[in-house]
Amino acid sequence: MDNYRQAKVQKFEEFVDRRLKPDLVSAIAERDKVFEQQKIFSDLRRNIENLEKNSVTSLRTMVNLGSEVYMQADVPDTQRIFVDIGLGFHVEFTWSEALNFISQREERLAGQIEEYTHLIASIKAQIKLVYEGIRELLQLPAERSIQEPIF
Amino acid sequence: MCVCILLESLSVAVPVDSDNPTMEEPTVKGTVTPLSSMFPAEDAQRAAKRVEDALSEKQQELNQVKEFIADNSNLINLVQKLPEELHHDIMVPFGEAAFFPGRLIHTNEFLVLLGEGYYADRTSKQTVEILNRRGKALESQVNSIKAMMQDFRAEASFFDATANEAAEGLVEIREEYVEENSSERVSDSGSIKQRSSSFSEADNNNVEDEEYARMMFRLDELEQEELAAEIDNEVDEDNQNQGNTAKSEEIDEDEVYARMMSRLDEFEQEELAAEIDNEVDEDNQGNTAKSDKESDEDEQAITDFDQFSDQIARDQKFTHSEELRSSKPPQQTKDKKTSEDFSNNYRRQQDFSDDQSCTDLTVQAVTRDIVKSSNADKASILPEVKENVGAVPSSKYEVSAESSKPGIDSSKVSAQTSKSGFDIQKAFTGSVVEHTPEIETSTQEQIETSSKPSKLVSRFKMQRR
Repeated sequence: MDNYRQAKVQKFEEFVDRRLKPDLVSAIAERDKVFEQQKIFSDLRRNIENLEKNSVTSLRTMVNLGSEVYMQADVPDTQRIFVDIGLGFHVEFTWSEALNFISQREERLAGQIEEYTHLIASIKAQIKLVYEGIRELLQLPAERSIQEPIF
Repeated sequence: MCVCILLESLSVAVPVDSDNPTMEEPTVKGTVTPLSSMFPAEDAQRAAKRVEDALSEKQQELNQVKEFIADNSNLINLVQKLPEELHHDIMVPFGEAAFFPGRLIHTNEFLVLLGEGYYADRTSKQTVEILNRRGKALESQVNSIKAMMQDFRAEASFFDATANEAAEGLVEIREEYVEENSSERVSDSGSIKQRSSSFSEADNNNVEDEEYARMMFRLDELEQEELAAEIDNEVDEDNQNQGNTAKSEEIDEDEVYARMMSRLDEFEQEELAAEIDNEVDEDNQGNTAKSDKESDEDEQAITDFDQFSDQIARDQKFTHSEELRSSKPPQQTKDKKTSEDFSNNYRRQQDFSDDQSCTDLTVQAVTRDIVKSSNADKASILPEVKENVGAVPSSKYEVSAESSKPGIDSSKVSAQTSKSGFDIQKAFTGSVVEHTPEIETSTQEQIETSSKPSKLVSRFKMQRR
């Protein structure tokens, strides 16, 4: 009986360590990626709004050639902008079109973030559940002060 | 046979402490020590795995650095090519997700990061130089990583070999190997052990023994010299006594006296031996040499003064007895504070003198020890004081010897003879000569007292270290 319980506990722990925790880590990584995208697009939107506000028609900027070596670049016409729409495609927009696309894109990203947050919460809940099961198996007193790993 | 060779290389490479269990049983030949017991296969495999992990990590690092190198060379090509034209049409990145169509201008002006957020405006050529230097740094990095990887590979192969051998169970062969070379190995380890232990204990013992032997040899020499001197003195005395038939009792007295002195010598030697034993860890050759020199000087002085004092003593023997005795304690107190104690001791011993000689000897020994300790205390402070105090116990010693003598025979006469000698010599030469009349005791005493304080001082120094 004791052996059985021991084996069970071990199985649970393995499940937590080998399945749930890696899942959690990957979900968090995905969500971070989406956060990054969101930040990129919000930056782009702010920049475009800046251009609009200052009615900049030509632009001079520095281009990174790699290894932190920069060269000056000139943009004669800022009216048309090519925006990454994913999967390596870039679409030529005007400012207003770009802003429209960016807002839609931001909504989508926000939805994705929500999704990932739910996923992460559910994984954490499962981990907690398994720990609770282990506790019951070992017949330890339930401790309300939660002492499980903090993610 | 090839397995044997493998094992040999293995046992050489193995850490020494794991080698020892088999080596440290010289009596039991051919102990069975399976390789797997020393290196469990799992452990070896685990170690190999760990090394493999480290190796793969290094490999990743190496790949990364190589990527950097490739990027760097590409960039060099680009930088060299860009100034060839006045401007290049490109897509100018605008943020991370957007581009503007545009073109590069000022194609011979580069802004290069020097590090720590400092940028420099450079031409194409200068930029290429900078990039070449970066490339060299990366190359050296690659070399170091490769060297590390080689080390790891050697380690991994060793662990793998160990694991394999352990798994195969090389028990018997290992045992056989030990048996074959056990004698050599044991002798080797034994000699090493001896050497190592000699550094810790045996060496000290040897030094100690050596020193002790030297001391004893020196003592014997001194004794013989003194004996010869004494015989000469006795001859002189005999001659004198032949002239003075009235003092024939003096001869008996001298014999008794000599016997007492020899006994004192014995005691002293015993004590000396004990002291040398006590002073284990000291290597005071310089001290012994010094004491030897001192004792030599003392001896000379003693032999010179001895005859003289004997003569004078004999002259003054009967006449000045009371005077000298009364005058003596003050002169002793002249020396130092401790000498007061000695005079007290002297009085006490004189009180006891009529009872027993042996008890006096023991008492005297004890007091002498005390004196030595006081010597040691003072020696560290004042060398002059040490000299005086060193002289004092010997005088006291004489006194006690004299006081022990009277227990057997006519006390006062002999005591006074020595005392008179003592006083006169003191008048003559001061501290060194104070202890002339009893050659043996005084010289040996001198050795002890002179060597003792210095020894103790050095020991204090040792402790301070």
